[in-house]
Amino acid sequence: MDLSLLLQGIVSGVLASGLYALVSVGLALAIGVIGIINFAHGEFFMIGAFLAYQLFVSFGADPVLSLFFVAPGLFLIGAVIYRSSIQYVLKAPELNQMLLTFGIGIILQNLALVIWGGDPVSISNVPYRSVGWQIAGVSVGAVPLFSFLISLVIVGGLYYVLLRTRLGRAMRAVAQNRTGASLVGLEVNRIYLIAFALSAALAGLGGVMIAVIQSPTPTVGFAFTLKAFAIVVLAGLGNIRGIVWASLAVALSESLVATLVPDGDVLRNAVFFAIIFIVLIARSRRVA
Amino acid sequence: MSILTVRGLGKRFGGLAAVDDLSFDVSQGEILAIIGPNGAGKTTTLNLISGLLSPTAGSLGFKGKEIGRLTPEQRCRLGLGRAFQVVQPFPEMTVAENVLVGALFGKAGVSDAQARRLSRAALERTGLLRVRDTAAEDLTLLQEKRLEIARALATQPDVLLLDEVMAGLRPNEARQAVELVRSVRDSGITIIFIEHVMPVVRDLADRVIVMDHGQKIAEGSYREVTGDPQVVEAYLGPDDEIDSPEDARNAGV
Amino acid sequence: MTSNRRSTERRPALQVPFDLIAVAAAATLLYFVPELLKLVFDKASVSYLSLVTNALTLAILALSWDILARTGQLSLAHAAFFGAGAYATAILGKLTGWPLWLGIPFGGVVAVVLALLLGSVTLRLRGIYFAIATLAFTEVLRAVVQQLPTAIAGGSAGINISPLFRPTFVPGEMDRWEIAFTRNEHYFLVYAGILLFTILISIYLQRSRLRSAFTAIRTNEEVAAVMGVYPAGHKLLAFALSSLVVGFLGAVQAHRIGSVSPDSTFGIGTTVFALVTPIFGGLYTTLGPIIGAGVLAGVEETLKRTFQEGYLIGYGLVLVLSILFMPRGILGVINGLVKRLRGEGPPADPDHELPGERDSE
Repeated sequence: MDLSLLLQGIVSGVLASGLYALVSVGLALAIGVIGIINFAHGEFFMIGAFLAYQLFVSFGADPVLSLFFVAPGLFLIGAVIYRSSIQYVLKAPELNQMLLTFGIGIILQNLALVIWGGDPVSISNVPYRSVGWQIAGVSVGAVPLFSFLISLVIVGGLYYVLLRTRLGRAMRAVAQNRTGASLVGLEVNRIYLIAFALSAALAGLGGVMIAVIQSPTPTVGFAFTLKAFAIVVLAGLGNIRGIVWASLAVALSESLVATLVPDGDVLRNAVFFAIIFIVLIARSRRVA
Repeated sequence: MSILTVRGLGKRFGGLAAVDDLSFDVSQGEILAIIGPNGAGKTTTLNLISGLLSPTAGSLGFKGKEIGRLTPEQRCRLGLGRAFQVVQPFPEMTVAENVLVGALFGKAGVSDAQARRLSRAALERTGLLRVRDTAAEDLTLLQEKRLEIARALATQPDVLLLDEVMAGLRPNEARQAVELVRSVRDSGITIIFIEHVMPVVRDLADRVIVMDHGQKIAEGSYREVTGDPQVVEAYLGPDDEIDSPEDARNAGV
Repeated sequence: MTSNRRSTERRPALQVPFDLIAVAAAATLLYFVPELLKLVFDKASVSYLSLVTNALTLAILALSWDILARTGQLSLAHAAFFGAGAYATAILGKLTGWPLWLGIPFGGVVAVVLALLLGSVTLRLRGIYFAIATLAFTEVLRAVVQQLPTAIAGGSAGINISPLFRPTFVPGEMDRWEIAFTRNEHYFLVYAGILLFTILISIYLQRSRLRSAFTAIRTNEEVAAVMGVYPAGHKLLAFALSSLVVGFLGAVQAHRIGSVSPDSTFGIGTTVFALVTPIFGGLYTTLGPIIGAGVLAGVEETLKRTFQEGYLIGYGLVLVLSILFMPRGILGVINGLVKRLRGEGPPADPDHELPGERDSE
């Protein structure tokens, strides 16, 4: 077997894991802190991509600069959605939450289709898009590398917030003890609002990157919703720390199959879901 | 004659031994109490007997059969009934529907008509007949506890496992519950119960087993075990001035 | 005060099976729907026929999903069973010269086998874990089908298959719309048959003791088991029944559309609508998913005609508003109204049978 091919697979996998972690950690926040099964999560990601695209087309804004506009933009969108609908289904059965968020997802996706059409778009005219390096026979693109690093910084920042700040402590307290924490009701609702809006913002940041890495269409969101769910479930509900490892595991295996197996690119998805399936089944057999 | 034999029963969660080398017998028709401080492994023991957990060591004999590897529903059909500590009615069903589940499925080959008779009898016995069409989620705590017992009775058990059915009840309610448990025993059902309320243990139990850290540390009559210095220590830790589990209870342990 | 103690143990000897009468009436009505449409709408009847056909397929998906959900299994694998049925009949038709209609029972059987395989390994998974595992199963199955030898499953391109019905047309005797109508009329009747079959299964489940078992397992599996209910068996039974009809549906649909391919046949849409419709109509009932299917199919068509592009925004809004204002679905609203009209009577529950303990008080 070609060693440099293997190395290439590993490097690409590691770099791809950052984006997965960024999107999934947002969903994990929504599920872990608020307890909401959010099937619209991938649409925040999609909107992030198209906002960045629009900023680029209208103002020539560099995607790196767009990060600073898209994040607050999606924070706001997330907050509005929370206030107008999510907060009313917090105690509803999870099926009701699924239907609600699925409806929100349909609205967002079709709004995007009306605004931007169904064709793939991409931010291709940035100077660094074609920049890359060859190290020991392994090619590393500037865009994947920097999106990985940026993701790492953001996810790290989130962990810092969760572990070290008053807000983070409040979020973890709410997550662990829904009934006890609701004694201070108003406070809890505000924390939920922030967590949901933050979760949307994190997905949006991931979207900005996908607009440079790939050429998304407005229908890209749902696929990412499913993948993010799979990663969150793989890490274990409520285990926000585990997201990084779960993302790394699936991104690596996807990338290794894509590079090492002939025609492996078609199998990418299958490998992703096969891993999730096997891990879930194996884990359920271990307990009790 | 012993109806249930527990031999060397053990359950480990990771490195922690929740139940460790536990052995005891239960005779037909007796009322056995299991007491011990929080975390002693009492509920785990009941879970092992009813099949919600599978043991990591030991054997369980019920009516002469080894049941250690059977599923919960198989054990129920053999005659093991169970009422839970945290009351867990099926909230979407009425009281009668809740009890009917046990009557329909508790034993193989029960017809619908028989099941309705059985659940009516269980409701009558537990004093729930008047509220049988109430949604289970609308019951008071006492009624919920009665429902737990009614559901278990409807499965026609030979041995009934009760997990802290008196917890949270007011004294007069607890007295009613004690009467109920006694009448159940008088109808020929063997009872194993976990209890923190010591007067209830004193009034009900023919025999008491004391557990601590997953092990049996004493066994005997109520008087015997409450006089046992090891038991006192388990409840209070060494160097304490209170001298019986009953006092410990009053002291809020 | 003495409560009315007339013999509560026995069921009244003669009980009017309203649900079965309603089903018989609906069946008769369905049989005449195509002719009625033709009579009333003339040329336009083609599109109305396709609308009611869509409603029927949606109802089959929704009701079969609901049957599975009654045991607490929130499946995201409906597309897998649908696809299995479709591919089963397609491959059978391609490799053998057997009569085409045999593909339908075959599709059902293949779907059941897959469902039992999936169901038996996911027995211990709950809630969202179960959902994601079944979704993953669907995606893996799609890839497996795609990787099968092209000579069997046709790879990414899929397989073309013949229609089930080839009505004879005399040139010049019929208008174009009449030809299209005749083609679809037969499919409509087949779908109606599958839906009736599903309804009968559902009613049986609701009338028998299985209703108690399913509800108990859904609300608390451990307690149910301790009370003698056999969760594994009941969950697998629900899986088998649910996938059987979806397998039928997939097989018939494949013939109607004329082809199968991994991407379209295993599309996530099937799964999503199977789940959305019963929640919208009213979960864990026979009537709810069917009402939901009828209303959602109608809503979608109306929006499509009114707004054309972007009409799905309206569809999403309907879903959002429905869950905010009728959390128990359409049937929940209807039941609430009935209750109010009767003046706080017992909740109207058309499927309610057991226990027959209720006194008239």
